[in-house]
Amino acid sequence: MLTQILLIAPFLFALVVVFAGVRLRNILTVAFVIFLACVSLLHLLFINEPLGYDLPHEFHTLFFFFDALLLLYFLYVGIAKKDTLVASLAASQIVLYGAVKFVGGGEGSHDLFIDNTSLMMYLIINIVGGIIVVYSLKYIESEEFGRLKKNGFIAVLFFFLGVMNFLVSTDNIEIFFLLFELTTLCSYILIGYRKDAVATQNALRALWMNQIGGVAILSALLLALVSYKTFSFELLIANIDATYLFPVVFLLIAAFVKGAAIPFEKWLLGAMVAPTPVSAILHSATMVKIAPFMVLKLSPAMSVFLSEAVMLFGTFVFFAASLLALSKNYFKEILGLSTIALLSFMMALAALGTQEAILAASILMVFHALSKALLFLQLGILEKEFHLKYVNDIESLMSYSPLVVFFIVFGFASLTLPPFGVFIGKFMAFESFAAGIQESPVFLAALLFSALGSVFLTILYFKVLTKVFVRDMRLGTSKTKEIATTYKYTSWALSILLGAGIVWSLERQLFGMWEIVIPALLIAIVPLLLFVFILKNAHRVKEYNCGEKEEAVLNMYYLHTPPALQKIIVVLSLVFLGSLFLGVAL
Amino acid sequence: MFKKFRKKSPWILHYNAGSCNGCDIEILACLSPKYDLERFGVINTGNPKQSDIFLVTGPVTFRSRERLVELYTQMPEPKVVVAVGSCTCTGGVFRDMYNVEDGIDRYIPVDVYVPGCAASPELIIDGVVKALEVLEKKTKAIEKPRKLFKEALSKEGIVDRRECALKVGEDDAKDTE
Amino acid sequence: MSEILLILLAPVIGGVLYGFERVVRARMQNRQGPPLLQPFYDMMKLIDKQTLIVNPTHALLGVMHFVALWAVVAFTIMGGNLLYIVFLHLLASLFLVLAAFSVKSIFSHLGANRELLTMIAYEPILVMLSVAFYIQNGSFSIEAVRANPSALGSLFFLFLAFLFVVQLKLKKSPFDAAKAHQEIVGGAEVEFSGLFFEFVYMALWLEYVFVYLLLLLFAGNNVLLGALLFGVVFLLVNLVDNATARVRMEHLIKIFLGIAVSLAALNLLGLSYV
Repeated sequence: MLTQILLIAPFLFALVVVFAGVRLRNILTVAFVIFLACVSLLHLLFINEPLGYDLPHEFHTLFFFFDALLLLYFLYVGIAKKDTLVASLAASQIVLYGAVKFVGGGEGSHDLFIDNTSLMMYLIINIVGGIIVVYSLKYIESEEFGRLKKNGFIAVLFFFLGVMNFLVSTDNIEIFFLLFELTTLCSYILIGYRKDAVATQNALRALWMNQIGGVAILSALLLALVSYKTFSFELLIANIDATYLFPVVFLLIAAFVKGAAIPFEKWLLGAMVAPTPVSAILHSATMVKIAPFMVLKLSPAMSVFLSEAVMLFGTFVFFAASLLALSKNYFKEILGLSTIALLSFMMALAALGTQEAILAASILMVFHALSKALLFLQLGILEKEFHLKYVNDIESLMSYSPLVVFFIVFGFASLTLPPFGVFIGKFMAFESFAAGIQESPVFLAALLFSALGSVFLTILYFKVLTKVFVRDMRLGTSKTKEIATTYKYTSWALSILLGAGIVWSLERQLFGMWEIVIPALLIAIVPLLLFVFILKNAHRVKEYNCGEKEEAVLNMYYLHTPPALQKIIVVLSLVFLGSLFLGVAL
Repeated sequence: MFKKFRKKSPWILHYNAGSCNGCDIEILACLSPKYDLERFGVINTGNPKQSDIFLVTGPVTFRSRERLVELYTQMPEPKVVVAVGSCTCTGGVFRDMYNVEDGIDRYIPVDVYVPGCAASPELIIDGVVKALEVLEKKTKAIEKPRKLFKEALSKEGIVDRRECALKVGEDDAKDTE
Repeated sequence: MSEILLILLAPVIGGVLYGFERVVRARMQNRQGPPLLQPFYDMMKLIDKQTLIVNPTHALLGVMHFVALWAVVAFTIMGGNLLYIVFLHLLASLFLVLAAFSVKSIFSHLGANRELLTMIAYEPILVMLSVAFYIQNGSFSIEAVRANPSALGSLFFLFLAFLFVVQLKLKKSPFDAAKAHQEIVGGAEVEFSGLFFEFVYMALWLEYVFVYLLLLLFAGNNVLLGALLFGVVFLLVNLVDNATARVRMEHLIKIFLGIAVSLAALNLLGLSYV
């Protein structure tokens, strides 16, 4: 009952919001978001064991109808925009879907299947996604859209929330495919929302790359129907035969595409031209979480070879994406690459399959969503209030807006430092790798990649603070600029949730008490000290510049990856993917 | 109570205000194993914010005078200035030339003058030890600016520079220590 | 109880160690060197200086660096989780990096960026050290390591890699590019003065205590071996410091990722399969 509400409500909200006036839209959106968040929290209280529902047969025909419409629309887009890749992939999807319908048959379990992974994803989608929708209310006010288009933006976001809610509750691979392609549709619409040349081009690229994932899912479905006679995840996993794992491999390829692992990372980086709430909700907090979600679902079905191969691939991408991010100047690209890195890390952990690894992956998923959403919200504030896109353009942000600097530093700290959730996830990951080293040398390689990747990410985040954290004492406090209330409240909401995460991990005893309390105190004291001890009586002095009078001009460091190394990384990742197929075949 | 530790740990800042490097070499020789200033706890920090003794060499050239004053102001009190070498004290062999300013006491108050061209390491060590005695007596208040030169008396159009410098203590009556 | 006392006295022990090291280094250079308690004279003198700060954020983050490092030493003495301690130490270093980034000074930023780069060098080795002790003793806890006999024989390559890390963390030649006194005037510490420089100075003493405590882990429960290791490594570190020139940052990272990480990885492979 609760779940039905969660699945249907966002679609209704989307319809309502399209036609509302500005104030009504704002009030309704906030109310809807709070409603969705409460419902998802209630799920935690009331649902203690996995539930299965069946949908009536009419729904299946309806879904087939929507599916066909969707694929035909993709084909139309490909032909209209003269993009051969989009058109050909859409055509191949139509052919494969036809084949699936022709083969038909197979038995499934329930259409809706809600287990703990789904509950966790509900929280991420509705709470984090909801906060981002509230944020976008203020964000789109300053965009140059008409009223209907602005309402349409919010409506598409609600529609997307509904699709995501459904996607994490379904067990039927065919319905999963429909929803997967619906998220691709949302991505295409939202990336191209500003309708300029760059946006349309990147939207098309996102479309064809995600369609590769669609093709992969259809192939997996076809193989599952042919050899396992089922179209359900649960039955597939239950009856899996270790000598015929091709359906699993194809589903994993779809996961890699959605999670923008190398070599598929171009669509995510190109998607950063979209309005910032889109980048936040689709491309870091919510939609790309489908990737580790799928691997979590499939992990009981993976053979030892497959899980070790995916683990190695995941940690390799973690290392490579962090390395590539060190050479970027565009703030969103930096965050995008770090998302790709952490997603692959989550996929590696999910593939590993031990209880500790799965817990680590889940913790990472939830807290990464919170932290990345917070960071992207700050990027949106920088874009709208200060007109900054590149890190090297940021000057004296600390004097203009200490609050934004606090959120950015807090966001980065929550991704690397104890006692925050992402750190706990990484820590448990290291423990899992250490536990497995004596079984296979692959774990040593994974450990090495993770250690290097994690230190690259730390350097990445703190090197960005070069320009953000400089406090230019010549400017004084009169230059402070107030940022809009909506921006402030949403950022505070995410920060408080991150803080609540610390309390949760204390209660769950993932660490000893002192290990969590002491770094929390150390980090919490800093802003406190800075507000209390402003050291009024101390004399001020200039910085040391060998006695020169010129002001220092500071820039962020780059660590350039030579093009040869970039090509090697892409080739290696393709080799990994190929070896997945080969290994499973042998 | 902490005052007696000032002379146990003097950190020096060495600045070359246009010198020929002769005195610089002698200062660096002081820090070498033969003369070993480090047994007094002396460290050559390159950072004005962390040093107590400002060892200056060279008659002040046009380009170095602003930086000289900048570095002097960036040093926290209490601090002493030691002028090493004849050029730094009075201009030395370059006195009255068009490109030098005849010594640093036109710009910053000097506490110890170490003569010599080049000043020998023993003399420099002597000067540093004397500077430590002066350092002990200083306060943490920012040193009040004081006139370093009084008006030149002109006798028949000839200015006698020896009359220009203030004697130590003259016009200092208003200082408390 | 004795552990609490040790934790409270950690800066003092570090100071004595640092002072002793200055004397040893001076004697190696054939000169006399400062008195043994010189670091404490420095401390008293620095407290007595006028407080000059560039901005309060900078000064206070320097103090937090010291406090965080003290917390790290406290965890190490109490025998906590070694892998966790490695990452908490990262937090302490990041406080210094943040402090250095908050002033508009070129040398400060240079030093902080180099400090970040040195993390690439030592983090992987410390992580592999923790994993190696885990494989030996079945747990990451330092208490377990101290209760068991010495693992120096089976962890010999890792010990060699750790020596690289010691040289780097104590900011000694040839790996002192992050501090680089003559080059970037102290790097991250350049804008600290007076009392606040004292905190950064004491943080260096605590770093000594931390690194030598990690060194003593290689001796397990054998106190005599620990003392011997300490003496040998102390002299070796100072000898290498006096005898070598500074290495550039790129070379530093290449040396660490090439030699030290390979040694550590080899040792881990050997531990698991030999």
